[in-house]
Amino acid sequence: MIKKLLSIFHDSPNSFEGQKQGEEVLMLLRHHPFTIIIKVAFFALIGLVPIVLWIIFSALLEEHGWLNAFLFVSSIWYLVLWLGIFHSLTIYTLNAVLITDRRIIDNDLHGLFNREVSELHNHRIQDVSVHTNGLLETFLKFGDVTVQTAASEKQFIFHRVPKPEKVKDVIMRITASRHTGVKTMV
Amino acid sequence: MFTLEIIFNILAGLAFFIYWVIAFIILYHLSRFGIGVQPKKFAAAFLFGSVVLSATVIILFTRTDISAFLSL
Repeated sequence: MIKKLLSIFHDSPNSFEGQKQGEEVLMLLRHHPFTIIIKVAFFALIGLVPIVLWIIFSALLEEHGWLNAFLFVSSIWYLVLWLGIFHSLTIYTLNAVLITDRRIIDNDLHGLFNREVSELHNHRIQDVSVHTNGLLETFLKFGDVTVQTAASEKQFIFHRVPKPEKVKDVIMRITASRHTGVKTMV
Repeated sequence: MFTLEIIFNILAGLAFFIYWVIAFIILYHLSRFGIGVQPKKFAAAFLFGSVVLSATVIILFTRTDISAFLSL
């Protein structure tokens, strides 16, 4: 029972709401982990504030009997930080692009109550381009992938995705397979 | 003084309630819209950490003497 319950943490399928029967998820893309590591590192840095204050004012706090109050305020500080970290992680993890054998679904979460879902069927894809800008993106191998649809329609831009060249290849393959009828394998 | 203490306790309770409302929203988003394994792991870690930190806050709150501050 417990084993079955814990299995969702290692073999949960990439199924999603609105998935068609027989539709296969080829790729699940999120921003490069570097983008979230920067944010978490910033929160970790803020987490040092009570420790620094304790080092500086420990004698004063004990002298006035404010130790328990300081610990209480510090615990609230960490509780708020915890919320901030997981708010960032939620935004990061839910900003995902799904590439299936039939379409591309772009989930954009700008805030917890500001969600935009765009869908692009592979027969509408006209062109795919990759844009890697700067030292970090080059060395850490991430960049923007732009999918151009029919002329009057909007562009799909997937920002800071890891291995953009591979993503481009997969999108080009599913587009080609639409015309040839050969199923794409990733 | 007694009234101020009550107000402080109510404010602390309200802040705690707001925390768990936001925590519920985050957990709901991760479990409802999350695709794959990663959101589930995040949700589990967040819930575990929230429970531990909340328990710590409550314990430290009960140990804190508010009246000493209010008398300053």
